[in-house]
Amino acid sequence: MATDEDLMTAVASGDGRALAELCGRYERGLHRFIFRHTGGRDVDDLYQETWLRVVRAARRFDRRRRFSTWLFQIAVNLCRDWHRRPPPEPVDPASFEDSRAGPSGTADASLDARRLLAALPEPQRSVVILRYYHDLGEDEVAEIVGCPKGTVKSRLHHAMARLARLARQ
Amino acid sequence: MTECDDVLSQLLLGRALDADAAAHVSACPHCTAEQGRVRRVAALLASDDVPPVPPALSARVLRLAAPLLARQARRAAWWTLARALAAALVPLPLILFLDFHLVRTAYGVLNVLLPGAVSFYVAFNYAATLALLLALTYGMIPIVAERQMRLRREECRA
Repeated sequence: MATDEDLMTAVASGDGRALAELCGRYERGLHRFIFRHTGGRDVDDLYQETWLRVVRAARRFDRRRRFSTWLFQIAVNLCRDWHRRPPPEPVDPASFEDSRAGPSGTADASLDARRLLAALPEPQRSVVILRYYHDLGEDEVAEIVGCPKGTVKSRLHHAMARLARLARQ
Repeated sequence: MTECDDVLSQLLLGRALDADAAAHVSACPHCTAEQGRVRRVAALLASDDVPPVPPALSARVLRLAAPLLARQARRAAWWTLARALAAALVPLPLILFLDFHLVRTAYGVLNVLLPGAVSFYVAFNYAATLALLLALTYGMIPIVAERQMRLRREECRA
């Protein structure tokens, strides 16, 4: 079976079938990553833009690097840009805490998880999603988010502390 | 980062703790207090349910990428051809030099053995044949380059 990097070489020479193969391999993972990062907003647009950037930059892809790292790097950058865009994100930690403290307490668990993630600052959220949901190593996460491994660890630590505080009953 | 952070990170990621980590948790009051909360967070995160990818999404991506891919293909074809031509042009002066001397030597030898007009006719035909072969060889370069690119693409996909 062709490696992702081989397929990228083919994409760089304009091979649509290679791109389809890559899309098939990363469709689910990438879609889920973006969904969790943006809380389900503009997912399709960001997903689409990620792949278009992959195609546009295919010739500059360094075959010595892992394609998955590069792909998620593009997705993280797009999600960062998305978060910077106005209007600001409507979900804030306070609203999450209010909703948990509320009398109903019937919030759906999945929605709670989304709110938990939304309550994290963007850099911490990227690290938690990549580490927790995508099971990537700290080195790879560091490369994707573009920071040292120690920063990944500290972000994960701060995120965990924050999540634990938010999840407190 | 402390050992506590590493252990709690392992718990958050839902990993089984090894003997050392488990011993640390039971000995460390901070980790003992935190582990319940971390497990609750992990359980909450695990409950996140993401909807499936819309079936038409990848098709839309491929449709939108088609013009970009076509441009990449054209650029790659030109690039391959340029490289092939550049590589082929390197030995051309030597080939022309050798051919010229070959024809001239053949003409000299024939001139000794045959009448002048006949030697010229034979040498001219020989030179024309060499020129034709050279033209055919260089004319094949774009075809061979394109074929090579196609094969490489198929190899990448295989």
